[in-house]
Amino acid sequence: MDNKSDSAISRREFARCAAFVSAAASLTPSNLLNAESLAAPPPAQQPANAPKLSPEGQAEVEARVQSIFAQYGNRFSEAQKSDIRRLATEAQRALERLRAFPMDNGAGPGLYLKPLMEREKKPLPTPATPKPASAPKNS
Amino acid sequence: MPGEEIFYLSVSELAKRIESKKLSPVNLTQAYLDRSQKLGRRFNAYARLTPESALEQAKAAEKEIQRGHYRGPLHGIPYAAKDLLAVKGVPTTWGAKPFADQVFDYNATVIDHLNRVGAVMLGKASMIELAGGMGYRFASASLQGEAKNPWDTTCWTCGSSSGSGAIVAAGLAAFAIGTETWGSIICPSAYCGVSGLRPTYGRVSRYGAMALAPSMDKIGPMARSAEDCARIFAAIAGHDPKDRGTVPIDKGAFTYSPSMELHPRPLKIGWLTNAWKSLEPSVAKPIEAATRILKKYFSSVQDVALPVGPWEDAGGIIVAVECAASFRSLIRSGRVSELTDPLGQIAGYVNEQYSATDYLQALKVREIAQKKMDALFETFDVIATAAQPVPATPLSLNLETGLVFPDPLGGIGNICGLPAMSVPCGFTDKNLPVGLQFVGRAGDDFAVIQAGRTFQSHTDWHKRHPKIH
Repeated sequence: MDNKSDSAISRREFARCAAFVSAAASLTPSNLLNAESLAAPPPAQQPANAPKLSPEGQAEVEARVQSIFAQYGNRFSEAQKSDIRRLATEAQRALERLRAFPMDNGAGPGLYLKPLMEREKKPLPTPATPKPASAPKNS
Repeated sequence: MPGEEIFYLSVSELAKRIESKKLSPVNLTQAYLDRSQKLGRRFNAYARLTPESALEQAKAAEKEIQRGHYRGPLHGIPYAAKDLLAVKGVPTTWGAKPFADQVFDYNATVIDHLNRVGAVMLGKASMIELAGGMGYRFASASLQGEAKNPWDTTCWTCGSSSGSGAIVAAGLAAFAIGTETWGSIICPSAYCGVSGLRPTYGRVSRYGAMALAPSMDKIGPMARSAEDCARIFAAIAGHDPKDRGTVPIDKGAFTYSPSMELHPRPLKIGWLTNAWKSLEPSVAKPIEAATRILKKYFSSVQDVALPVGPWEDAGGIIVAVECAASFRSLIRSGRVSELTDPLGQIAGYVNEQYSATDYLQALKVREIAQKKMDALFETFDVIATAAQPVPATPLSLNLETGLVFPDPLGGIGNICGLPAMSVPCGFTDKNLPVGLQFVGRAGDDFAVIQAGRTFQSHTDWHKRHPKIH
């Protein structure tokens, strides 16, 4: 069973893979100046076997981590801070895969999920059984 | 006191006995309550039992049936509801300490529907805190503690409908209601050896259910057979003006009758070649045997590959952003630190940081995925694969490091809102259940039910149950 998907996300990872975005925009200089952690941050942790993030990706991770620490830093232990940095790094990989997916300018976002079940071109087949009052409406 | 086997009878079997007045709903409810009180804690299956209201409902059902007013196959049938469904006056904890004392003054629509058909709620099923939306590292991420698998109590039931899985497998209720945003019905059904239906998104109202990721949350039954799932689904499906996500009236309702099985539509099955990177050998064996059944009894079975794309990444981002929005006050107030799981205490802060641009990119990817899957269902009625590549895992396992595998079908199935069903298809050499998964086109819930029903009419795995003393 070959898997052509190179995604490293698992079902259980979905929620933790809180990724970060080009959050630099929300990180203003004044945020930074007020941040507790202005000291040179440690580099983003990367698992040994994971592809390296680009310098831009690393910077993005760092910006987000600093944004969190600036806003909530006093809530975290050192171990939690380290975990947050790890999560941010892992999330960055998912973001980069997503951003790399080719997309037309006119591609529409599914702002609210509407399953493609209103299709008219080929109505769903109905069972061959004679339809009693209880026949399914959707089959 | 009924014998042990009655606790494992299907809804259909129980209904026959209740309708013919050979089985009293009050006696059945009392028997399930006694069993649940005795065994529930062993599996951490229940968040709470509600014996008084259960017996009240059972007495009302019995009275009606005696008077000749039989409401249908769920009348007098005891069930458990995942503890994220609001039940008026009963604590609804969402499995999480910050909500331990939460009580709603209204019922979730699903509960109202089940009341209407005369089902009897025995209690609230335990669950992973906040349905796992904040992430979790350990099976113990629940106000009720780790849910233990009735097939092997050193193993987990999977989450987040962890109690629902344990309750059905241990014969503590005839069925349970679970929810799935990503994997939370299919995985516990597979691990616990029960039949679980994840309906098409919008087919079942989420009004009164905890919101995790509103564009992906779904509610569905976990029961003893595909047929039972169909009967329960028929009771809870339908448009609801209180849930904007529900599909229109003419596409929401679902009706099921066993007579539909007499002339089933021939189903074309696509066997997925790339749903899992690999299957654990003990899972591969029963799955191979299951494919032989499919080839023998289904119209056609052909290999097919899922389209390749960043479906899981898109799903992960949608869940993370929507979850951060759903629990914004919990994160901002810092009360997220009261969650049990170390990952749950911090992941929300990370989730808050996603940009609108990336969220919209994920939504665009969803649209593309929907079209690709719709095209795939031009050829196949149902696609199939193992429900999980591994059997139930040890309770102590670190899920972040010990249970990591790509799940493109879970990703694409859930971001597209596709219906799915897991049915038991065998056991590992350690006697842990293995599940077979069917996924259908959005709106064609009947196809996955029919696939499960057909499979179960030629196998008896769904009739097996753990030995519990």
